Amino acid sequence: MASLEPPAAVTPPSSKPNLLPLPSPTIITPSAAALAAVAPTTSSSSPATLSVATPLPTPSDAELVHIPSYSRWFSLDGISECEIRCLPEFFDSRSPSRNPRAYKYIRDSIIKQFRRNPSSKITFTEVRKTLAADVISIRRVFDFLDAWGLINYSPAALSKPLKWEEKDSKTSQHAADSPAGPSSDSTPPVRETTKWLCGSCKSVCSIACFASDKCDLTLCARCFVRGNYRVGLSSSDFRRVEISDEMKTDWTEKETMQLLEAVMHYGDDWKKVAQHVGGRSEKDCITHFIKLPMGEKLAGSAEFGSGINKLNQMKDDNSSNSSSSGKRLCLSPLADASNPIMAQAAFLSALAGTAVAEAAAQAAVTAVSKVGHGEANAHFRSLHGVQGLQNASITSNGSNKLKSSEEARSGVNTMPEEKVNVEEELRTVAMVQMKHIQEKIIHFEEIDSQIDKEWKQMEQMRDILFYDQLNLLKHERSIRKTGQQAAEGTRAG
Amino acid sequence: MKPLPSTSSKTPVKFRMPTSENLVPIRLDIEVGGQRFKDAFTWNISDPDSEVSVFAKRTQKDLKLPLAFATQIAQSIQTQQTEFRSYKGQEMLTGEKIVPIKLDLRVNRTLIKDQFLWDLNNFDSDPEEFSKTFCNDLGIEDPEVGPAVAFAIREQLYEIAIQSVATARESRNAKKGRRGEYSSISRSTGAALDLMKLFSNRYSGVRKRKEWDVFEPMVDMLSNEEVEKWRDLEEA
Repeated sequence: MASLEPPAAVTPPSSKPNLLPLPSPTIITPSAAALAAVAPTTSSSSPATLSVATPLPTPSDAELVHIPSYSRWFSLDGISECEIRCLPEFFDSRSPSRNPRAYKYIRDSIIKQFRRNPSSKITFTEVRKTLAADVISIRRVFDFLDAWGLINYSPAALSKPLKWEEKDSKTSQHAADSPAGPSSDSTPPVRETTKWLCGSCKSVCSIACFASDKCDLTLCARCFVRGNYRVGLSSSDFRRVEISDEMKTDWTEKETMQLLEAVMHYGDDWKKVAQHVGGRSEKDCITHFIKLPMGEKLAGSAEFGSGINKLNQMKDDNSSNSSSSGKRLCLSPLADASNPIMAQAAFLSALAGTAVAEAAAQAAVTAVSKVGHGEANAHFRSLHGVQGLQNASITSNGSNKLKSSEEARSGVNTMPEEKVNVEEELRTVAMVQMKHIQEKIIHFEEIDSQIDKEWKQMEQMRDILFYDQLNLLKHERSIRKTGQQAAEGTRAG
Repeated sequence: MKPLPSTSSKTPVKFRMPTSENLVPIRLDIEVGGQRFKDAFTWNISDPDSEVSVFAKRTQKDLKLPLAFATQIAQSIQTQQTEFRSYKGQEMLTGEKIVPIKLDLRVNRTLIKDQFLWDLNNFDSDPEEFSKTFCNDLGIEDPEVGPAVAFAIREQLYEIAIQSVATARESRNAKKGRRGEYSSISRSTGAALDLMKLFSNRYSGVRKRKEWDVFEPMVDMLSNEEVEKWRDLEEA
């Protein structure tokens, strides 16, 4: 069990959840004594020097230790609410060995051990070998610290070579010393500098993140959509941070050309496209294709006419939302957009078909073009079919550049109304479509029932025919018989 | 220090580790395909059994051992756990029992030899606390020594606890008088001393001079060759 006081002192262990930091000398000395280099300096200094961002007091390395922004509450001096929440078994006095003091001892030892060598990952087994406590408690604390990025946060992938691995490979006596210090890695390779962890569901964000500067929270797209953020925040406090796979592996021009060729040839068959491009998965191809600037994408497609260049300009202005891909139903491009309304709208417009969507777009955009707000255009561009947008958005873009400031102001006011209008029109579009489908269904049902009736009639007629045939045969036979009898009768008589 | 409990009679008590928490010492010695894995740690018996497999997997992954180790480790832990649990509910005798605990272990390069007296009756005792103070006072730098010392103490206490269960059973079956109890206890736990006997010679609590060497801790640092020698000795 952990003990942080020298044997003579009689400080009662506090097991209340709101733990005030223990007086300074008792915290630092015993655990620091284990690290011989640190003992003399820290025993006299105040706890403030052991705060997070300051470099380690060891003479050899003054490395900065990185921790993620959502773990800023952490400090070595005391126990914060977050820890109490996540590891309640240490604070509810159910088991005598699990109390706040023991927790603090384990936590501080793990962190100190990690910080002695922050460039390499520390494993649970290393930690548990050096701590006098039961291994399950150690594991829980270790997992907690790991999840919150307080240890093993963005260090190099290399870990210390293991004792028995070294023994096999080397023959020299220095094999026994190797676990004490890593020999190989000096500077961690900068492969993943930003590893975003969602604050609520603790998963790694891959596609896009939402970061809130207001209270330093990072959420993955899923949690943001579900509204898994705290009460004080609203969706407007978050800004979108893109973390696309392309950052890791950029698409070369050659690959892009191959992609476009393949799309032209194979259209929607992404399997073949992926094969053609070579070295890219289907998903990669699709995402990259969507993110291509509009002009390139439409270069091969004959439907879209002259406004390509202008669209290209506007597309460059608007980087975040990509436009819908018109007829490609299987590729709902905004399906992964974080805004569920946008996803719905894209899906519906794809379903409705270009003609209907165009009509709706024209109606909506003409209403908007009076105001001519740039951002509204950005939304509509992505919502509706491309054809309708060309004309309207060109004009509105032009007028926007002329009277930007006034319209900006008025645009802000009418923005929500326009949104509502657009939504209503989409709703009517959807309703119409549904009615259409319903009528078709009814029609088919009628045809079905008619066919059934006719089939039954046919069967009846067949039966009648069968009976007629039977009767005929019977008659024939009986007549023949009588005829024979008669013939015999006349011969005999 | 923590106050001693007032009951110092020979009333039987339910089996448990004579320490403040019921932590079990677990020792692993697994050999799979030519690779030997030795380990020793303390385990909290009140933790759910799902932790066993999780821990085994973790250890196997961290140390990059072949997969077969994970199942073996889990099995070994579970057998030792059930063994401990089988003693649960049985009674063991306690009393004024001061036992000498001997430390004789090698951890990496540190060699430790020590002997001290431990009060079995004190159920608030804490081997971890002891080992921490031990390492601090002796200036041991290797952080792995602490847990090893605590483990050694715990193991010995566990042994003694098991023995006392056996003696409790014996004495109950034998149904002898008080004298019988005394003799059986002192027979099985040979080195157990009685406080009265210890202090009967003098009227002070100070130890005899010639016993000082025995009870002094000795810590030695080994060189690499000696480490190899010791390793071979232990494995043989």
